[in-house]
Amino acid sequence: MRKIARGALPAVALLGGMLGAFAMVMPVAAAPPDVVIGAIFPLSGNAAAIGHDAQMALDTEADIINGHDNVPMLLGKGGGLPGLGGAKIKLVFADSQNNPQIARSEAERLITEDHVVAIIGSYTSATAVTISQLCERYEIPYISADNSAPSLSQQGLQWFFRTSPTDVDFSKAMFAFFASIGKQTGRPVHSIAIIHENSVFGTSSATVQEALAKAAGIKVLADISYQANSPSLSVEAERLRAANADVVMPSSYTSDAILLVRSMHDVGYTPKAIVAQDAGFVDPNFYTAVGPLGNDAMSRSSFAIDATKARPAIPQVNALFQARDHKDLNDLTGRELTALQVLADAINRAKSTNNTALQAALRATDIPGDQTIMPWSGIKFDSTGQNIEGTPVIQQHQNGVWHTVYPLDVATAPAVWNVGK
Amino acid sequence: MGDNALTRRRRRELIIGAVLLVALAVLPLPISSVYLRGLIVLTLLYAGLSQGWNILGGYCGQISLGHALYFGVGAYTSTMLYVNLGVPPTLGMFAGGALAGLAALLVGWPCFRLSGHYYAIATLVVSQMFLLLVSNWNFVNASMGITIPFHTQSWLDLEFRTAVLPFHYVMLAYVAVVWIIAWFVEGSRWGFYWRAVKDDGAAASSLAVRIFPSKMAAAAISGAITGVGGALYAQYIGFVDPDSTLGLSLSVLIALPAVVGGVGTLWGPLLGAAVLIPVQQLSAAWLGGSGDGADLMIYGALIVVLALARPQGLVSLFGIRSQAGGGVVDRA
Amino acid sequence: MTTGLIIQVVLGGLLMGFVYALVAAGLSLIFGLMNVVNFAHGELLMLAMYGTYVIHENLHLDPLVQLPLIAVVMFGVGVAIYRLLIARALDVQFNTGMVQIFVTFGLGIFLVGAAQLTFGSDFRSISNGFLSNQTFMLGPVILPMSQVLAGLVCLLAFGVLALISRTEFGRALEATREDRDAVALIGIDRNRVFSIGWGIGAAAVGIAGVMLASFYYISPTVGDNFALIAYVTVALGGFGSLLGALIAGLLVGVVEALTALVIDPSLKQIGIFAIYVVVLMFRPRGLLGRL
Repeated sequence: MRKIARGALPAVALLGGMLGAFAMVMPVAAAPPDVVIGAIFPLSGNAAAIGHDAQMALDTEADIINGHDNVPMLLGKGGGLPGLGGAKIKLVFADSQNNPQIARSEAERLITEDHVVAIIGSYTSATAVTISQLCERYEIPYISADNSAPSLSQQGLQWFFRTSPTDVDFSKAMFAFFASIGKQTGRPVHSIAIIHENSVFGTSSATVQEALAKAAGIKVLADISYQANSPSLSVEAERLRAANADVVMPSSYTSDAILLVRSMHDVGYTPKAIVAQDAGFVDPNFYTAVGPLGNDAMSRSSFAIDATKARPAIPQVNALFQARDHKDLNDLTGRELTALQVLADAINRAKSTNNTALQAALRATDIPGDQTIMPWSGIKFDSTGQNIEGTPVIQQHQNGVWHTVYPLDVATAPAVWNVGK
Repeated sequence: MGDNALTRRRRRELIIGAVLLVALAVLPLPISSVYLRGLIVLTLLYAGLSQGWNILGGYCGQISLGHALYFGVGAYTSTMLYVNLGVPPTLGMFAGGALAGLAALLVGWPCFRLSGHYYAIATLVVSQMFLLLVSNWNFVNASMGITIPFHTQSWLDLEFRTAVLPFHYVMLAYVAVVWIIAWFVEGSRWGFYWRAVKDDGAAASSLAVRIFPSKMAAAAISGAITGVGGALYAQYIGFVDPDSTLGLSLSVLIALPAVVGGVGTLWGPLLGAAVLIPVQQLSAAWLGGSGDGADLMIYGALIVVLALARPQGLVSLFGIRSQAGGGVVDRA
Repeated sequence: MTTGLIIQVVLGGLLMGFVYALVAAGLSLIFGLMNVVNFAHGELLMLAMYGTYVIHENLHLDPLVQLPLIAVVMFGVGVAIYRLLIARALDVQFNTGMVQIFVTFGLGIFLVGAAQLTFGSDFRSISNGFLSNQTFMLGPVILPMSQVLAGLVCLLAFGVLALISRTEFGRALEATREDRDAVALIGIDRNRVFSIGWGIGAAAVGIAGVMLASFYYISPTVGDNFALIAYVTVALGGFGSLLGALIAGLLVGVVEALTALVIDPSLKQIGIFAIYVVVLMFRPRGLLGRL
């Protein structure tokens, strides 16, 4: 008998382990009037820096809505959501670890345990896929703040809303800029070299750019795909030097952006112009790392920190963000902050946290650009949930400061343009 | 151990297994939390995967750090069949398992000539190589991955909208079948050969044990089990991409439950998964939100402490020993 | 494709190869000595890089000046890891091989978490070092000074390792490797030899870390970028063989660069892995591995 009892122990322990885990998780009780919103970002792993900034940005916006900062933008007055009797926004953060499976189970936890009314996320496209698919099943809105892969809004989802422009919009802006600056200076772009990491982000961005170049009659002298976080990008830099195109167009995250720019310098190559697909090229750490090598780099952006005339809320919001994160708002944090603002506005108009009411309110969203900090003409979703008024800008990093150089009506400085010289 | 004692022990294992199966079948019923039910589903999946790894890594002593390869082959095969040809995953998972078993044979053929750490690193490299190839292979959508669209609730397609309970029984069935396979091979002639190979390769060959074919058999069974698990995972998550189905961290996660629970034992992988997966997921859920890396520290420290404090695995707490004797890595 | 370009790429690959070789040397030494593969090796590299960064930020010491300091500190880290964890893992009577794999694996995860907790997850870098952004012309070939120097320092460190193996301690290492029980009879303390072996292994990867920090970026997971290549290098050269690590490191560096140039940059690691698989088909214990 004793032997049997001993043999049965692991079985008991197995059950015990699972039940123990069960007992340890207590549902987080939210104060009744609070509106609970979930946010899933990579808070550990290689993209943790981005996730951390996103957290700071969302916290800043939640404080603006809940507090009394009196910022001149939509819901900037503070005091909670008037449509819900001054209910406060409460954010619950979860770490996707940049892993689609963890992102999914964390989304499920936020929906079923924390009873979030919507989820904001998620930086990387792979995690956005699993989160948005899960939200669709639970019929909870997913607000994509900063995922730019075009395919996400083509999944036929009813609960997917993307405030951010996509890589198609962004790349279109770049080529529109090329046309404009060519006319303006008489030194047009004849050729480009594309370099991108072989991820969802890099590949989709490069595909769009290649098609747009063809349409614009611009030669693609190189299309280089590399593996992210390589120990060396010297050969990639060599190939760019050999191509010697008018414009180098990188789609790279911070780590590779640092290495790429340093490597180009190391092989004695100074590109005439760099026009980047955001990401690493808007990260302040990148400019600290490469110093003067980052001078006059251009990037598309959906945020223009210098557009203070047209967007009077920027200085105050930026100061509030700086108090938390000790850096300026950038393209990513600006978009994340605005995503929460758009969601809060929809909840406010729905006057309810009911999911279908919220879905209807989101669909009816129509926010003029000057009510946000973004240089967009506004926020209005099409039938796929894509914001169709998120017009991006081109910015240039001139002597350590970002200046908007395109479109000309919001430009704050003329572009430094060395192509054709 | 006499023959009688042996059969008695094996019969007892079957009885305990049956009791455990019933207990696990009713386990989720009183649990209302969807998140916890999901956690149990994942725990069951990893218990099955690790049980499969254990056949090659535990019984046969070949430490593979590349099982994500077989997982990915299974996940991609069933997903491609389902999305492109409409083959239901309940069939596709067998195709995935078969291909994964074949892949294990292809990997085993060159790698089994390597010993000890050379083998471990070779498996790691081969799976990493496959990850790179898939990331650049447009036929399977390269690094973009494949989303499995949700159509309608169906057992045939293993699609259940938000319901977690059906998946609980799917994964439980998976674990049960894998456990039975492990139980069966443990007592079979193959099991005897493997233990001989593991304990002392030289002695085994003098005993006329055909080492190479016996390793290949272990690899095929182990790979096929992992592949089926990959197919089930794909259907549960609804998305496959190279990094999450072929990465090194997955290979480690497949091996760890067996290592922590007890390698070369029938109960080790189950017990290891029951401890490890909840800790990993819950520490990420509680501490991950702070984004400061504390969850990784806890997870890492737990692995170190368990490996040092319980080298025979947690099952040794219950007086269970591996069916095989001493060292696992044959000395290089 | 000009000859100049090919020469340039091959030289760049060789320079990187020296760094790979030194990272691999530490791993190889530890393995040869006690049959332990350190799966936290990339994290040791990461620690050394952060160490270099922190000292540079606070004391404004150039990475080059820090070399001896970091080497000594990393030696201490290596000894501590051996004493606290590895000695225990080796004492385990059961599953020794598996225990050591997963102990070092767990240690690696722990160190990544600790680095994130201490330094945050931002990408750091040293941008105003003595040799930052300086290049060096050699006919048609342009080479970055920081990498040329990294290559030279790593080669020098190899020389030192080779010298150590000729000293009395080196012979003690050798004897312990040959027969760890018999050496006790001639008065060699196994634990002492092993911990010094770990110290030297960690110091070697520390030196590589300092040199890398002068031109590479630094983050908690930066070790991953080099770890896999280090394992391949060691297995390719043969575990325990110093010369093997050097040859394999250079081979990996050049093959990687040429694959990127001739085939496709996103497949450059495939080039390395293919060479590795082919070599192991014919020499299961690597180019210079002992049987």
